[in-house]
Amino acid sequence: MKSLRRDLSSNPQASNVASKVFVRSTKSGKVQKIVRELYLRQDIPCSSKLCSLCPSIAPSDANGNIAPFVLSDRPAGTKAFPRGHYLVPDTNALLNGMDLFEHTGAFYDVIILQTVLEELRNQSLPLYNRLLSLIKTDEKRFYLFFNEFRLETHVRRGPEESINDRNDRAVRAVASWYEEHLGASAKKGKKEKSVPAIVVITDDKGNIKKAKAEKVTALSLSEYVSGLEDSEKLLDMISEAREARDSKGPIGQLFYPEYLSMSKMMTGLRAGNLHQGTFNVSPYNYLEASVKVPAFNKPLLILGRDNSNRAISGDMVVIEVLPQDQWKSPSTKIVDEEAVTRNDNPDSEETEAVVSQNERKALQEEVKKAHGKSSEGKPQPTARVVGMIKRGWRQYVGHVDAGSTGSQAASGRRQQTVFVLPMDKKVPKIRVRTRQAGDLIGQRILVTIDTWERDSRYPTGHFIRSLGELETKGAETEALLLEYDVQYKPFPKSVLDCLPSEGHDWKVPATKEDKGWNGRRDLRDLLICSIDPPGCQDIDDALHARPLPNGNFEVGVHIADVSHFVKPNNAMDLEASVRGTTVYLVDKRIDMLPHLLGTDLCSLKPYVERYAFSVLWEVTPNAEIVKSDFTKSVIRSREAFSYERAQLRIDDPSQTDELTESMRNLLKFSKILRQKRYDAGALNLASPEVRIEADSDEVGDPLTDVKTKAMLDTNSLVEEFMLLANITVASKVFDSFSQTALLRRHATPPPQNFEDLINQLSKKRGMELDVSSSGALASSLDRCVDPENPFFNTLVRILATRCMTSAEYFCAGAHAEPEFRHYGLASPIYTHFTSPIRRYADLLVHRQLASAIGYEGEDGHAVIEGVNTRGKLEDICRNINFRHRNAQFAGRASIEYYVGQALKARGEKMAAGGTDTGIDEEGYVMRVFENGVVVFVPRFGIEGVVRLEDFVLPGEAGSRSVSERRELAVHRTTHFDPEEYTLRVEEKGHPEKERGVDVELFQRVKVNVSSVKEEGRGAGKRRVRILITG
Amino acid sequence: MSNQRQASSASQTPHLSPAELSYLYTSLSLPKSPIRPDGRSPTQFRPLTAESNILPGTNGSARIGFADGTQAIVGVKAEVEKTVLSTDTLASSEGGEGEDSTSTSNSAAASGHGSWVQMSIEIPGFRDDDALPVFLSEMMRESLVGSVADGGSDGGGDGGGDGDVTMAGGLKGRLVINKRWHWRLYIDVLLLSQPLSYPLPLLSLTTHLALLSTKLPKLKSQGEEDPFFDDDWEVAEYLYPRSSNLKAAGNASQYVRPPVTLLVVSVGENIIFDPSREEIAVADAVLAISVTRDTEAGNLKLLSIRTVDPPSRLTQPAVPNSENVNMLGATAPTEDIAVLNPATGEEEVPGVWRPRRGGVKRSVIANMVKTVLKKGGVGEEVLEGLEGVEVE
Repeated sequence: MKSLRRDLSSNPQASNVASKVFVRSTKSGKVQKIVRELYLRQDIPCSSKLCSLCPSIAPSDANGNIAPFVLSDRPAGTKAFPRGHYLVPDTNALLNGMDLFEHTGAFYDVIILQTVLEELRNQSLPLYNRLLSLIKTDEKRFYLFFNEFRLETHVRRGPEESINDRNDRAVRAVASWYEEHLGASAKKGKKEKSVPAIVVITDDKGNIKKAKAEKVTALSLSEYVSGLEDSEKLLDMISEAREARDSKGPIGQLFYPEYLSMSKMMTGLRAGNLHQGTFNVSPYNYLEASVKVPAFNKPLLILGRDNSNRAISGDMVVIEVLPQDQWKSPSTKIVDEEAVTRNDNPDSEETEAVVSQNERKALQEEVKKAHGKSSEGKPQPTARVVGMIKRGWRQYVGHVDAGSTGSQAASGRRQQTVFVLPMDKKVPKIRVRTRQAGDLIGQRILVTIDTWERDSRYPTGHFIRSLGELETKGAETEALLLEYDVQYKPFPKSVLDCLPSEGHDWKVPATKEDKGWNGRRDLRDLLICSIDPPGCQDIDDALHARPLPNGNFEVGVHIADVSHFVKPNNAMDLEASVRGTTVYLVDKRIDMLPHLLGTDLCSLKPYVERYAFSVLWEVTPNAEIVKSDFTKSVIRSREAFSYERAQLRIDDPSQTDELTESMRNLLKFSKILRQKRYDAGALNLASPEVRIEADSDEVGDPLTDVKTKAMLDTNSLVEEFMLLANITVASKVFDSFSQTALLRRHATPPPQNFEDLINQLSKKRGMELDVSSSGALASSLDRCVDPENPFFNTLVRILATRCMTSAEYFCAGAHAEPEFRHYGLASPIYTHFTSPIRRYADLLVHRQLASAIGYEGEDGHAVIEGVNTRGKLEDICRNINFRHRNAQFAGRASIEYYVGQALKARGEKMAAGGTDTGIDEEGYVMRVFENGVVVFVPRFGIEGVVRLEDFVLPGEAGSRSVSERRELAVHRTTHFDPEEYTLRVEEKGHPEKERGVDVELFQRVKVNVSSVKEEGRGAGKRRVRILITG
Repeated sequence: MSNQRQASSASQTPHLSPAELSYLYTSLSLPKSPIRPDGRSPTQFRPLTAESNILPGTNGSARIGFADGTQAIVGVKAEVEKTVLSTDTLASSEGGEGEDSTSTSNSAAASGHGSWVQMSIEIPGFRDDDALPVFLSEMMRESLVGSVADGGSDGGGDGGGDGDVTMAGGLKGRLVINKRWHWRLYIDVLLLSQPLSYPLPLLSLTTHLALLSTKLPKLKSQGEEDPFFDDDWEVAEYLYPRSSNLKAAGNASQYVRPPVTLLVVSVGENIIFDPSREEIAVADAVLAISVTRDTEAGNLKLLSIRTVDPPSRLTQPAVPNSENVNMLGATAPTEDIAVLNPATGEEEVPGVWRPRRGGVKRSVIANMVKTVLKKGGVGEEVLEGLEGVEVE
């Protein structure tokens, strides 16, 4: 039997139609074969400024312009390529050396292939995003070449060819095409000499070999970098992941179990045998972590390195619950990686065990404890990590552990392995290979984690760059910003281009005919003033109150009209949505919006006319709200007060002008509103905030700058009206956008969160905490008073706050209406409206409110676009929640750093005159561990761990050096009563009562605070040391 | 409509005169060496055109065109489906599906289930619930899923893994992914032309070819996990394992293959393959023979023989001169002496057409089966020919 096949080769169309076939697995479990047709074209330009051919064929936009060409006509040359060169990296090169490509010293004129970009996206999303932003910036001259769509460079996969081989071939094909193409164009332009070399960068040996055969220049990343200037520094930036794998060959002893395959995890997750959650390491014990999974109310514990199985804080992991006989109670011990693993050698792989001897001992004690206690039956369910969904790895700030550099540190240039201690205590040491170990000691450096193999006890990473010397202000501030992922780079030009062209000369249009007045009410006659912290430049809000003829009052809150200046979806809006919030550090402010807007055009400065978004209420003298109204407006603030000045003016009976009267009215109303709020069950939560006034003179005691925030009546005046405005706006916006309103909620905390605190209070003080509702909690918190100890109440409030969940932004459609409740404020609905200059959420709410009241914008177009899709809003919410949290952390860390520095400065001053004795303060015990306590010092708003050696026993010299004190630890013994929350510290062999110190929870203790230089992780921060002196 | 339907239930009878029919019959029934109108040998097939993988969106597809102008396209799609597991108590009450009653659902999970293959046939001019398409599709589906070597006793659990060598349990077993998941196959058959001759062989060959080219995504998960597949289509595996090197045809024929159905007619003592329309019109009997290879041993197996209503039954009879009033006395009576037709055992006057009454001798059927099944016989020839159609 004979059969014939139709011949397609005669089809002239066949060559420019190709297809891409792949298998797609959908979420519902369907498996589909997908066929995509590709229509190949010839008008995709090479984008080299040298090329004389492409400008004529490149596709143009509606105005007849073609996209500007990216690649320079004078690319940089190296020794090997004196005529200049363009780089064509393959995917592995980017995976291994993304930091290099971002380096400003080299790697210009890079051709990124579509093939490579897509492959990179499949392998690493963060790297993909970094590459995209590289392509977007102009200065690095990265060109994204759509090679798959260009006829000459499209590569059909051959039979039996693997995808990798095919993609490698595509890279080579592009390189040889470029060479030919540029050659041809140069010949045409008769400037043959200047044709740059096309250099393929690949770490695949096979690819290099094939490239040689095809006469394509190809180098491995390290070969290429070696030919550059400054190669030593650059070589350190190549990822270790691949190298380690290659060089090791047969894998040694495996310390960690393998992760489950994706399909196994999916099966388990669907069946409910496995759980997925984020890995959270305890701040007190690096060997203990918890994972909150949706299936259970309480987080599951993960104890020890074996069970954490290479997970790092922030990773999305899959866990399996351990059998009940392995359940334990959470640790009552402070365990620092620093202390336990001090003597590890970064180079030696052989002697490594996952659990070092010391660690094992620490764990055994844990087990004993759990067993001893299990009669009372409170072991917690534990789990172990069996799989990894997504790594949460980022770049980490740290410093080289000087002890790990070995003796040859000084001899310099040889590559050696060192440990880098990340600033974040929850992240394990990172093993880094470097040639600059000697130089890096004493520097704040940025590193990243590349891999954590099963046969390595610590993750392996590589050096990115140095931020500067430890403890210098610049380095530490940048470290802080990097650590909390704050965007601190200056605004790019594209953002600044969105600013009004008038700059600082911008004014509210003089005539009301101007389109700027469309839909705006003229409120310039009102006696409006603003009250803010001293020195505030970005004034978001201003207020007024005036009597109405009917005996009621009109009260107004006026908010800077930022949405007028920031139009949806332009570069500035996108930048602001990424930044999410302004970040306040002690001596620095990282703005969300460019300076011009934040501190001038939007800011409701006094004496000038400004656009505002006003909320106006009519209230009865009893502060009952009769009606509320929203409008865009033009205002002129009469005065910008600081809290103190406003307070003084109100308190001064000689002032009887209208403005002062208006403020007195506001104050009166605010007190009534406040009372109403508390009656409704709002919580008065305390956070230990101190404020640093950095502007005081240099000569005095630096510590005088550290002030606890004083609460004046005027503070709460502003606060009350802002709350009222937010609540009023929230319900208005929700009325109009039942699915997409941007709101803020504070979820009711589950009662079990309070279990520990309730226990502690009843045990130690016989007090009760009623957590059945926020009102009940508020009144029971009020009852937690210790007449002897005025701070006790605040302490309890701080602890209670920590039991709660944090408030979050959300999109109305994401939750049912009862879930909108703001627990802390006892309001059924809430949002943020009053600080659009420093919070992106408020800006969005402004846009929504504008649309809700039918404001049509200057030119009559609705301006709601961009905030009306729920999916997009939810993305924004996720981001601003994250940014908001990070901004808070960064602010706190900044204060902590400043306090440390102030103590240090004081210490140095004292040392000059004699000895550094630290400063004596009062502290309160917040938490009791088996080998230490956590003490809170209200004066500085800091809390610190007090370890055994830092207890000053009676009859002992107060201050000794850190190392001397460390010696003491081994001589100490403790009696820890977890039921009574007491700890007795005494010297070994001296059981006499008078030689020991007893501490218990909530106890007021005398502490000595000083800043000490520690070799450990805190090295940069200068750990604030707290000694308990009695 | 009814006319067409009736006609195609066997074939459209060509308009031949009784004399022509008689001539045809006589030359086809010549003992040992029949003379066919187109000069073919009895086992020779007409040339056909075949190509596979013509529909990129399917898992496998084929088109075959016969020399008489009939054409068919077949597309095969596969979908992952959850196997409904029932407890043993439910199993007895849930025997449905026309599967042998002894098989419980659990064994179905291991050895596959006939209902996992779904077939639909579209013939121009017919509704999809007309008798012909339904009958044809069930006939083909049955032979597909029924072609199991040894009842799937050793289970098909590993069918997905190393399909290159074994295919225990036949197609059904191959569709098992694991105890909880299986593939479901949708085979869509489209006849492009009017059904000139009986369409079963065409449809069957095209389906065979489409199934040969059918690939399933490569399974990455193992054992009882939820299935998880490689997203690279290039590494997808053939539903029916194929030898990696088609040139080494020697062992290419050693694999399990989907069944083919061949049309055979008998004329007198002779058997004739791939009959043309005219040949069917005079056939004593028309049979559809389905064969398959369901073990690696390489022997073909007879799946079924169906008799097809021979159209010669409906032809106009001729009148012998002896009975013709017009011819009365014009011929010598000796010319019309009836002889016994050895094939049918009927008395016939040579050269005078009489509609065949059907029926076939046992020895003729045995001969047919032998010709199809024997080593190097027609069956192997057809399978090899289809195997030779380039898949890519």
